[in-house]
Amino acid sequence: MEFANYQLTLAWVYRFLAQSLRYPESVWLTDDYWSAFSTLLGELNLHADWQDIASLLDGYDPVNDLQLEYTRLFINAVPHVVAPPYASVHLEGDGSLYGNIAEKTARFYQNKGFEYAGDDLPDHIVNELEFLAILVQEDGEGYEEFRGKLFIPWFARFKEKVLVEANHPFYRVVITLTDFFTREEQQYGV
Amino acid sequence: MAFNLTRRKFLQAASVTAAAVPLARVVSADSGFVRKPFTAPGSFADTRTVHGGVCEMCFWRCQLDGKVRGDKLVKLEGNPKSIDNGKSICARGNAGVKLLYDPDRLKYPMKNVGERGKPKWKRISWKEALDECGSKLKAVQDKYGSHGIAMFPHGASAKYPMHFFERTVGTHNVSEASFFQCRGIRDMAYLATFGTPPGEHVDMPNAKVIFLLGCHLGENVHVSHLKRYLKGLENGAKLIVVDPRFSSSAAKSDIWVKIKPGTDTAMLLAIMNYLIKEKKYDADFIDEYGNDFDKFKNGITHASLEWAAGICDIDAAQIKQVADTMAANAPNVAIHPGRHVSWYGNDFQRERALACLTGLLGAVGVKGGFVKPKGPKVKGVSWAKGHHDDGHNLKEMADKHHFAPPGTPTDLLRNTCISGKPYPIKGCVVWGQNPIQTIPGQGLTIEAMKQMDFVMCVDVMPTDVTMYADILLPEASYLERYDYIKKGTQWNFADNHQQFIAPRMPLVSPMFERKDPIWITNELAKRMGYGDKIPITSQEEKLERELKSAGLSIAKIKEEKGIHLQPGKNPYGVSEDFEVNFFSEDLEDEGYPGIPTYIPVPDVPEGYARLLYGRSPVHTFNRTQNNVWLHNAMPENPVWLNDKVAAAMGLKDGDRVELVNSEGVRSAGDSVLKVTPGIRKDAVYMAHGYGSRNPMMTIGAGAGIDDQRLITKLAVDPETGAHGMRNNFVKIIKDGKVLDLPA
Repeated sequence: MEFANYQLTLAWVYRFLAQSLRYPESVWLTDDYWSAFSTLLGELNLHADWQDIASLLDGYDPVNDLQLEYTRLFINAVPHVVAPPYASVHLEGDGSLYGNIAEKTARFYQNKGFEYAGDDLPDHIVNELEFLAILVQEDGEGYEEFRGKLFIPWFARFKEKVLVEANHPFYRVVITLTDFFTREEQQYGV
Repeated sequence: MAFNLTRRKFLQAASVTAAAVPLARVVSADSGFVRKPFTAPGSFADTRTVHGGVCEMCFWRCQLDGKVRGDKLVKLEGNPKSIDNGKSICARGNAGVKLLYDPDRLKYPMKNVGERGKPKWKRISWKEALDECGSKLKAVQDKYGSHGIAMFPHGASAKYPMHFFERTVGTHNVSEASFFQCRGIRDMAYLATFGTPPGEHVDMPNAKVIFLLGCHLGENVHVSHLKRYLKGLENGAKLIVVDPRFSSSAAKSDIWVKIKPGTDTAMLLAIMNYLIKEKKYDADFIDEYGNDFDKFKNGITHASLEWAAGICDIDAAQIKQVADTMAANAPNVAIHPGRHVSWYGNDFQRERALACLTGLLGAVGVKGGFVKPKGPKVKGVSWAKGHHDDGHNLKEMADKHHFAPPGTPTDLLRNTCISGKPYPIKGCVVWGQNPIQTIPGQGLTIEAMKQMDFVMCVDVMPTDVTMYADILLPEASYLERYDYIKKGTQWNFADNHQQFIAPRMPLVSPMFERKDPIWITNELAKRMGYGDKIPITSQEEKLERELKSAGLSIAKIKEEKGIHLQPGKNPYGVSEDFEVNFFSEDLEDEGYPGIPTYIPVPDVPEGYARLLYGRSPVHTFNRTQNNVWLHNAMPENPVWLNDKVAAAMGLKDGDRVELVNSEGVRSAGDSVLKVTPGIRKDAVYMAHGYGSRNPMMTIGAGAGIDDQRLITKLAVDPETGAHGMRNNFVKIIKDGKVLDLPA
């Protein structure tokens, strides 16, 4: 039972993080969302980080601020986009979208009986977190394989760029949480 | 951020399980994943061939097949059914894959919440973007009139929106770089002389002599064009190349005329005068088709070989050799009309002279001569022309440039934007063009952009000009949309006569929120109050209606693997109504020379060299600078400098250098020096298109030297209003020190 709860909670955390890395819009950046985010950070004893974010939520247009930051970090920006959230930009190739690693990722989904049917690329961080949520509940071995071989190698590079360049604490926190919930556990002292 | 508990402990904590409940309430219901039964390994890796691609890495538009695995384009190849490029595509064609998946590509509509020139981008919805574009352009139109809107289009995708603004909105203020900074002069000069624009229609495969003036085929790569050229050489044609530089064509030539830049018309006049005096011209052809030949003949008697030799800084004997070689092989002489011809501001006269030389040799409609292909007919569908007040046509108001190609000469348009005279221009639509790289005088272009009330840009990539957009819209690329119909004939007229019709069809679907130009234009039109005038509802409908005029359909083209072939017609022969206007009364009536005339260009000031530019075989100007494969093939543009000049200056091959022009404008970056005997002492040369200033192009920004930045002395061809861009002079900077070039 405890194990099932562990997996279930982790799955919901992954889905929550995936949601947090979608393009920010008021339709989902609701009071409920911020309440859940605050609860999560509270459970992790990250109260100061929550305060950093909360202080900006009282601004003139916090969703607009997040949209600007998301565009700058992940879409297009001057001087240049910081970290496109796609594996293939960071790993195995010449920095293009839809490189070999994206195809490997799609193939992995298919081998596990799934197909990514959305309108983005299979190796977008949102999709990979959503898939980790599926795997962690259904296929422990697959979860470990996907996490270790396909997610962590590129995410490590992506994370460094975001943490250095992010101006808004929200994305620093979300990416750090993503790292915390996907890294090998022993790196956090267990 | 410091964690003081482990993930395991966090997840095991009973209280935290409850935390998952609020998390569950706020996530998207759609994960993007659907369950799909496992299929046998290997089936996923299968690659299928998709037909119907038409390249637009340059504007020659080779026909393509795409190798597609899943929904990913993995490779581009020439469509083996093509009778144009065949299976061959060039480096740029191959590298289209890297444009498609360039992470810097525009993905979503964006709004500039910063300044023009220093943009801060925010992703917005299409609705918000189009509402803003529609309302802002409408506001400009209401306040200043339709002529208050300017448009800078380029490429196939810009045609439909260009017609909307020109024909339906009713502004004359449309300026295409393909005309005013490229080939418009050629087209209008041949139109004035032959009654038809020439394209590049010389029958090189079957010529005995190929005459290239400034064309550097090989560096300028268009596949079927090169096939014609190389077949001609293979068949034994003699090659004459007139170029200040030992270009890739000069390297294959029988005669290389190392001419002084800007003096070509003098040489052409001397050749013609010599041929007439020596009676080495085609008198029968001229009797049949020539107009006012005597006026022409008498008007160029001053152009002796010696006269031209002095002007052109070449030997009179070499001019004679060129003339005799042509005469001995006439009429099978391919006098190439050129393509990018906006050089010195006296270019209409040079192009007229080339056409007259073609006529003089009778090299029209014969093997090896000027032969226009007889291609298939397909009727285009676009916006109907409305009734508009024609009182705001800038070239008519200025009573200038009476032989301008379609649209408004860029210089007139830009000056009007800046001065507000004779009327204000406050709205700007840039569609596929990068005017900062295509138009000389970058500072003026930026000034024009900055004074606008509203600027919208539509492109596939961020470019220099998109930094000045208020709204930036992402367009589907040529690999993701239906539009242009490439038509033509087999590339070698000696082969079985065939015609082809090859419409562009998508090889893959557009990703993200990229949209095709028909949809974007129609949505804009609705918001500007022209919803009832929309001629077609979708890109597919447009293509279907166009194909229907040729008895075809999209389904039929797909069935025929992307290209429809049909029997062709013999292109040789001269139509009865063909004429060669050796003298043009129309030109003279408007105050221009009635016969081709040499008009001197400014000489190189002491201590400087003339800045010449040209093409790289692996780039299409600035458009491909961010392509990682092409960038790696030629990451910067070497500065060619004569070896003796370099030695006198203490420079050596491989030095890093910058340039500064005679007006004190310094290159933004540096490049490598190429020391070579293959260029005149009074010129330096580099490939055009480098040195992008938009840092959003993470590969191309700042790579090499931007020649356009150094082109600040503006020349304008009087007949056409097109720019001349080779009248600028530079010094070399090495280690921060400005060096004079020796006399």
